Amino acid sequence: MSTIIKILGTGCPKCQKMTQLVEEVVKENHIDAQIIKVEDIMDIMQYNVLSTPVLVIDEQITVKGRVPTKAEIVELLN
Amino acid sequence: MQPAKEICPTTTFNKVKNGALLVDVRRKAEVDDIRFDVPAYLHIPLSELENRLDEIPRDREVIFVCRSGSRSLRATYFLMNAGYENVYNMKDGIIKWAAKGFPVKGNKTALYTIGDSCDCSDPDCC
Repeated sequence: MSTIIKILGTGCPKCQKMTQLVEEVVKENHIDAQIIKVEDIMDIMQYNVLSTPVLVIDEQITVKGRVPTKAEIVELLN
Repeated sequence: MQPAKEICPTTTFNKVKNGALLVDVRRKAEVDDIRFDVPAYLHIPLSELENRLDEIPRDREVIFVCRSGSRSLRATYFLMNAGYENVYNMKDGIIKWAAKGFPVKGNKTALYTIGDSCDCSDPDCC
């Protein structure tokens, strides 16, 4: 089953950077994943987070309020 | 989840006159430049909100404010998630509040020195 990766953020540069890095990691490592960008504030606040971007993997919050490194994303997805 | 209750600066001003508490979630440096000049005022940066929730009364109307209304909207939802009922977001932030002529202390030009598209170098920013 595909991993569901959600990136929560309102479209700021840090959120775009996280999306770009996640897309690169998924592609480079041939990971079976679906990437979903969540930009609506009400949808974001379902996760009760005050700072974005947030990386949610299979409904678990893994990173919030910062852009992780690619190595960190790889580790989180393995 | 219910949508947050959002109000304009005029309604905010009237509510504050009637006892509501204004909670400003901007960074300290922003507040040092310019702040809301109302008596019932509390400054809790967004980054500290989670740890300072107990400072916010549950038995009083609370209105969250920030620079443009975006951070304060998150704060509003955060309190709603924590079970607060009398909580509002003031739309358009201190920019609109000051533009409408409501009381502020400080330098109004500080409000316009950052563009709407921030550089997101601050953890509180977005």
